Amino acid sequence: MPFKITLMFFVGALTAALLMVGLDWSTRFLGLIVMLGTLGYLALKMEQAHRQLADVHRLRDAYDQLDRQAKLIIRTDLELHRTQEELDRRAASLMSLHQLGRQLQVSLRPEEVYGKLHPSIVTNFGFSKGLLGMCTSLDTVEWHSHIGVSADAAEELKKHLITSTLLKRVLTAPSPKTLRTHAATDASERQLLSLLGVPMAVVAGVIPHAGPAGCLLLGGVTDDATDSRGDEELVAILANQLATAVENSALYEGAWEAKQELERKVRERTHELAEANSALVRLNQAKSNFVSAVSHELRTPLAAIKGYASLLGTGQFGALAKSQAERVAKIEKHADLLTQLINNLLDIARIESGRVAMEHRPIAVEEFFATITDLVRPQLEAKRIRYAADLDGITQLVGDAQHLQRVFVNLLSNAIKYTPEGGHIRVGLRRDGASVLATVSDTGSGIPAEDLPKLFQEFYRAADPINQHIEGTGLGLALAKRIVDAHQGHITVQSEPGKGSTFSVTLPAG
Amino acid sequence: MARAQLPPHSPQLAIVFGSSWFEQSLLLGGVRSILGGTPVIGGSTAGEITPEGPTKHSCVVLLIGSEKLVWSVGVGEGLDHAPREAGHQAAYQAAQGLQGHQRIGFLTFGDGLATRYGDVIRGMEEVLGTSSLIVGGLAGDDLHFSQTYQYANDLVVSHAVVGVLFGGTGKLGVGIQHGFAPISKSRQITRAHANVLHELDGQPAASVYEEYVGRELINQMHSGGMTRQRIAYPLGIQTGETNQWLLRNVVSVHDDGSMDCSGDIPEGSWLQLMIVSRNLALEAARTAALAATQSLNRVAAVILYDSVARRKLLGERYLAMEVAAIREVVGPSVPLAGCSTYGEQAPVGVASAGRTGVHTGSVLIVAVGT
Repeated sequence: MPFKITLMFFVGALTAALLMVGLDWSTRFLGLIVMLGTLGYLALKMEQAHRQLADVHRLRDAYDQLDRQAKLIIRTDLELHRTQEELDRRAASLMSLHQLGRQLQVSLRPEEVYGKLHPSIVTNFGFSKGLLGMCTSLDTVEWHSHIGVSADAAEELKKHLITSTLLKRVLTAPSPKTLRTHAATDASERQLLSLLGVPMAVVAGVIPHAGPAGCLLLGGVTDDATDSRGDEELVAILANQLATAVENSALYEGAWEAKQELERKVRERTHELAEANSALVRLNQAKSNFVSAVSHELRTPLAAIKGYASLLGTGQFGALAKSQAERVAKIEKHADLLTQLINNLLDIARIESGRVAMEHRPIAVEEFFATITDLVRPQLEAKRIRYAADLDGITQLVGDAQHLQRVFVNLLSNAIKYTPEGGHIRVGLRRDGASVLATVSDTGSGIPAEDLPKLFQEFYRAADPINQHIEGTGLGLALAKRIVDAHQGHITVQSEPGKGSTFSVTLPAG
Repeated sequence: MARAQLPPHSPQLAIVFGSSWFEQSLLLGGVRSILGGTPVIGGSTAGEITPEGPTKHSCVVLLIGSEKLVWSVGVGEGLDHAPREAGHQAAYQAAQGLQGHQRIGFLTFGDGLATRYGDVIRGMEEVLGTSSLIVGGLAGDDLHFSQTYQYANDLVVSHAVVGVLFGGTGKLGVGIQHGFAPISKSRQITRAHANVLHELDGQPAASVYEEYVGRELINQMHSGGMTRQRIAYPLGIQTGETNQWLLRNVVSVHDDGSMDCSGDIPEGSWLQLMIVSRNLALEAARTAALAATQSLNRVAAVILYDSVARRKLLGERYLAMEVAAIREVVGPSVPLAGCSTYGEQAPVGVASAGRTGVHTGSVLIVAVGT
């Protein structure tokens, strides 16, 4: 284009020269025409250039406008980045708090709680360094966690916190405090940041209602003032969570110690009881042995007494006077009683020592009770007592027929003894699951309630006026209980004075 | 675990990506106690990467055994006061150990807190030649920006660069992409020195940057640290090739209006603010993986240097997707290990044809194979 314009100028200049020095009018006219043409072309080009310049201005404006829009987009996007980053950090912090909460649930001691500051908690909270320590007083702290801080630096920080009284201030402050290098007015705070090697830190007291307090120190590499409130809130939540965990662990520790003490005491008492029980068992064994030995020793002379009394009674050694015969009869009767007593004692001793094995055989129920009834019938008839047996269709029991016979003879004999003339005695059987329940009921004098628990003890006899007139060894029920127990059964009694008694025996059915 | 997957007698090299969370000497001691005298190279990270995705507070070991490859480890210290000499020292030491073998490429781990890493690369190039392939990542420390560590055999060092020079008949494939696209108009870098950007279009750089990101973010940038806002819109320097931008993050802003950046800023170049989406970033990762593997007949292992800015900006879930996308391209059975870095170093421009430069916000894939 500049070449064309130069050419146009050259043509214009040539034309002007022709006009000025032209020889005739035709040459001058031609020069005029060419000059007008050249001027027209130049005017056209000028117009074009003007339009192109306007286009360039418009393009530059559009470029600048796009750049302005880019600035707007960038600033908006940066705000979004800031918000997103803050949200990410909060989300990570909350996740850390949640995870920490779960870990703290299983912390059983305050020391364990103060050792739970994990690296991920520090970084998720947006910090790079962290320390958590336990304070047993306002001027002592022992670090249990130090993240991103060497052991030496942690020791230096500990000394500084104590000597500068910063620790005391932290442990008595209601909320966390943010420290910044450029904003710290207190020299001790600047020194703390310097020792921690960060421009910004948040320090908080862990103050539980029970258990040792603590100190939490978190340091960050960025010093962004806009985040400080959020940081303090999150750190406050973290400190509260730690405090709650310390409280719980302290309570648990207290409860655990109390439990340990209780268990120790129970162990001691159990040991004492076991020893006492062993002594009793030894004593009981000695008693059984003694009774057994004495009984054996008594049986021989007693047999002689009874034998000679019988001989005397028959008159082999000469006829006896009536009063003599009566005395000899009494000797014989009491010798029988004494023999029975000794036999019972020996049986009890044998059963207790396990020397007697109970047979485990089927017993035909009807025959069994018929035999027993035959044995006690004379006494029943003597007192005109009405007797009834209801076997409820039960045909079989399992056990030692000879020993069980002694049980029921004993129960029936007792019933007869304590039932007045014309009374009733009833034997009943009924099935009770896998067992058979046998009852012996009478309409006798009954037993006072205070005597019932002791009724099956050896030599126990109720302090009842009626008992004064009724003979007995005090061993019958004790022996019955030993025999029933040896059959894995139970014997119980229900009674009320004046309304009779019911003895219940549970035995295996087979 | 890594050792059990290799034949016992093949020559081995261990590449270790260790979290700065651990006591570093103990960590390396642990690795050495298992691997014995196997050469070790590696560095601390801003997060580790396994075939399953990103991890944190872990140690990832990639063990390479090959009859076709030889290697030699070099260490250059004093990066903070003499970066060029450190690069020189590392490359020289490694080159000495390789004797007469043909060089394939130099894989490095440098201090992620170094401000003049471009000088380190120049130092390496002076020894190895500008046409040599130099790739690697800048070690991190989980965004604490306090101290990073580099590992070489039994050594744990800081302010250093360590590297392993590969030689033999094997191949290294390299792919680097970021996926960011321009959003602002182009501004000319009218004054810059090393990694400090002073002026854009003749105005203080910070005031131009503030027009886009606002006063509040500029105020935050007077201190260190990394938030998503600070890395969401990196600076993209036009490389001269179509649709190629070298990314730089603004690290801090000074009162005189200058800005410290995450790599060298070439004066006279044109610059734009850049933006990325997950899809663009994923596509970039696939492209990088393709570029890394296309020149290889068989891929034996893949080393991944992934900018921590991507992890921070796009999230852990994205990184898992990125690893999965890369595995789809390189093959699911190919061993893969890597880390999140404070910077990546690789040729700028078309694969190995360009000179090595420092990248930011990129995914660098190094494929070892034949």
